[in-house]
Amino acid sequence: MIGIAVIFLGGVITLFLGLNKSESQSVMVLRLFMLISAVLAGAESQGWMDFSSLFNWVPTKMLDFSPFDLAIVSILSFFGFYILSLLPSNDRKGADVLGLIAFALTGAMMMVGSQHLVMLFLGLEVLSIPLFVLAGSDKDNLYGNEASLKYFLMGAFSTAIFLLGAAYTYGGSGTLLLSEIQLKLSFAAHFGEYPVLVKAGALLMSVGLLFKVSAVPFHFWSPDVYEGSPNRIATFMAVIVKVAGFVAFANLINTFSPMQSWMNKWIIPISIITILAGNIAALAQQTVKRTLAYSSISHAGYLMLFLILPMQENQAILGTYLLSYGLGTILLFHLMDNYSSNGVKSFEMFRSIRTNKIDLATLIVGTLSIAGVPSTIGFVAKYQLFSAAFAQNHYAVYFALLGSAISIAYYFKPFRYAMAEQSEVEENPSKEKGVFSQICLIFGISLILIMGILPMIVERIF
Amino acid sequence: MELIFIPILASLIWAILPIKSRSIAAGLGSISLLILLTKYNSGSFPDGLTVVDQPWLGESVRFTLSIDQITWFMLLLTQVLFPLIVMSVKDKNWKLISWAFLMLAGLNGVFMAKDGLIFYLFWELAMIPIYFITLQFSERDNFVTTIRFFIYTFVGSLAMLASLIYLASLSGGSFAYADLLNTQLNHSQSIIIGGGLLLAFAVKIPIFPFHLWQADTYTNAPAQGSMLLSGIMLKMGLYGLIRWYMPLAGESIDFYQPIVMTLAVIGIIYGGIIAIRQDDLKRITAYSSLSHVGLIAAGFFTLNASGFNGGLLQMLVHGLNVVGMFLIIDIIQKNTNTRNLSELGGIAAKYKLFTVLFFIIVIGTAAAPLTSGFPGEFMLLNSVFKFNSMYGVLSGLTIILCAVYMLRIFQKSALGPNETQMTRISFIDYVPLIFIAFTVLFIGLFPQIILEIFPMSLEKLMLDISNAKGVLS
Repeated sequence: MIGIAVIFLGGVITLFLGLNKSESQSVMVLRLFMLISAVLAGAESQGWMDFSSLFNWVPTKMLDFSPFDLAIVSILSFFGFYILSLLPSNDRKGADVLGLIAFALTGAMMMVGSQHLVMLFLGLEVLSIPLFVLAGSDKDNLYGNEASLKYFLMGAFSTAIFLLGAAYTYGGSGTLLLSEIQLKLSFAAHFGEYPVLVKAGALLMSVGLLFKVSAVPFHFWSPDVYEGSPNRIATFMAVIVKVAGFVAFANLINTFSPMQSWMNKWIIPISIITILAGNIAALAQQTVKRTLAYSSISHAGYLMLFLILPMQENQAILGTYLLSYGLGTILLFHLMDNYSSNGVKSFEMFRSIRTNKIDLATLIVGTLSIAGVPSTIGFVAKYQLFSAAFAQNHYAVYFALLGSAISIAYYFKPFRYAMAEQSEVEENPSKEKGVFSQICLIFGISLILIMGILPMIVERIF
Repeated sequence: MELIFIPILASLIWAILPIKSRSIAAGLGSISLLILLTKYNSGSFPDGLTVVDQPWLGESVRFTLSIDQITWFMLLLTQVLFPLIVMSVKDKNWKLISWAFLMLAGLNGVFMAKDGLIFYLFWELAMIPIYFITLQFSERDNFVTTIRFFIYTFVGSLAMLASLIYLASLSGGSFAYADLLNTQLNHSQSIIIGGGLLLAFAVKIPIFPFHLWQADTYTNAPAQGSMLLSGIMLKMGLYGLIRWYMPLAGESIDFYQPIVMTLAVIGIIYGGIIAIRQDDLKRITAYSSLSHVGLIAAGFFTLNASGFNGGLLQMLVHGLNVVGMFLIIDIIQKNTNTRNLSELGGIAAKYKLFTVLFFIIVIGTAAAPLTSGFPGEFMLLNSVFKFNSMYGVLSGLTIILCAVYMLRIFQKSALGPNETQMTRISFIDYVPLIFIAFTVLFIGLFPQIILEIFPMSLEKLMLDISNAKGVLS
């Protein structure tokens, strides 16, 4: 709850303070609030601080944050801070974009803590509606307009489907509270028969969320939308939406866990298809941004494997995976943004990276982590997820490993231009970088490596 | 632990500071050799000395490193070869040293790891630097070659990871070597698990149909990359075979033994025949390597003492000889700008010492009696012959084929009419060659000294394997 309060306040303050300033000035304020939120929520999740007395008036039936949820809120705030630090702001006047980013982030946090289907829906909408606008925030870009419209239409459809599912669930169970739905289902489990309406509701709500996390076959919007949106917003969609979406998704599936074996019948195939289609489609992409978009689709596939696990014991796995995915994705999006400044969109943009040691290290570490190579946090996350999922279903894990092997072929494409000594260096002036963003990069690299080499640190977080 | 930390530290130093001196690198590289010789004296721990044992991830994975006699022997091989390799780094490629040290850390870890996941971790850690070395410092754009190499090995590694996860799920979640060892497998489980492990090692060794990455990677890699790959990295696969595959999935040996033996014998002859027809010196060495390690793998799969002893001995000898060959090729190429046999000739007329060393290494590789190649190869052939006389005869061809292509190399480049122009060979290039030539003669005369390094641990390992196989022999 503290996260929502701080970020919302930060959004409002930034909007007012930034009224007459250029955006790059007022971004400092929002960054500060995000950092505060990350620290406070993190402290509360570890039990060092307790803010619950401040929010007694919030009905816990609707919105309640467990320590794990607080850790996710802290990570979300940190990712928000990290995105705003590494992906530069434009120089337009007014802080409307920043305000929308802050409000979308509050929506993401509401999704994480929601205990009630209406609250979940509200969070979904508060997250999505600013993003429809943000996707087209670069008004002169034709692709941006396309992205915005496409995202809006897809978002509207998926919301409608989600609502229909919620209505069915209410019809079948008589309640909208997640805990009560679970209770009723576990009664029903004794008779071995589940209400058809609840089954339909679970399926439709999942479809609504699958749209949001862009799992195959509901993924067609995401590469186009990523490509059209400004880089910062695309990163936001790839990271924040997916992190919040998956935590909410896991909560939802956990609600329906008494009929887990029925749900596995469609979760596992969708997961396998997402992994394979995402990775194979990524192979064929020419631009870096689309490749990253398909890579994030394939990661949605790996994450879906988590949904077949019992939620309570395995929360740490989800947290670790989301943390590693977010870190790696932000770093790679940052490099893509930084080196595509003169219009090169293909992998050749990395030709000039060799002159900058920190960027080169970022590229290597980020890529290895997101590909799941050992001694990075990406490996720890993938190993934990796969070995836990292996106990439930062998074949899904074999396909996931196959997907990881395919992914190497495109993750390593940048190295062709970035590393090979014999290819000539072109002067491709990357954007001027401040000391601050370099510190951020070094921080990210060391986070990935330290947590990869000493994974007991990650275990302690969750 | 020092064997891991010092190389990582050195790697960081070279990544940050531009130290271009290869002698300093070689000196720093031999520190770990000193530590190995002084701190971990070989004979004192046949059952394994646990160096470190810390919880790493949850309850299932512990960071366990331990040294027994076989491990010590593999570490010795690595530490001896590493300074020789680093000493030959070209000045313009000094950045390679950082990757090489990182790889050394990975290699040391692979040989010491006593926990399935830690083994996998170091296995990959050793692979990433060599990928970057081959990509970054090759003479032309060889992205396709290196990515093929990486995908081959990565697919193998992932199969191994799947097998280890499967095995650990059967052993109650623990990845510890002892727990994995004690896990009983039924037939179908052992086929799946053993197949995954075997695939990873077969790609790395490489055994015949999985060798397609090898020749191109060796040819395009910088000389040091080829040396690290063939000298040390192949031994990771062979070591994995005897330490991880055979004891852990021994139930499947009966199933895989005929397949692997057949493939290995095919590889021995295939590699030898192809090597005869090549013009590029590096390709010849690559295919000769395929032929030699095929014999070692076949020797291990015969499961008799002669095969294991010969195989371990031959690992060291092959490492030294192949590094020697690549050093010679590197020197020839550095001075003449070619490594095609058709363009070389007449080196002997001008460079007496170089030619003598060249010849010693050539006959060592060709396994002439009283050189280092002979005892190991003899024991291996003996074991294969005992296993199946037909296979023994066929793999015996390797000696003939090897003599043909090795002497062809020597004849065409050192002798012959074609006057190759070479600039002066510096003294520092001679040092590793002299050392290797010395070992060729020394091991050839006194192979027993090497064989006495690991008898007790080998006995224990063979007991584990025969226990796992279910037949006490």
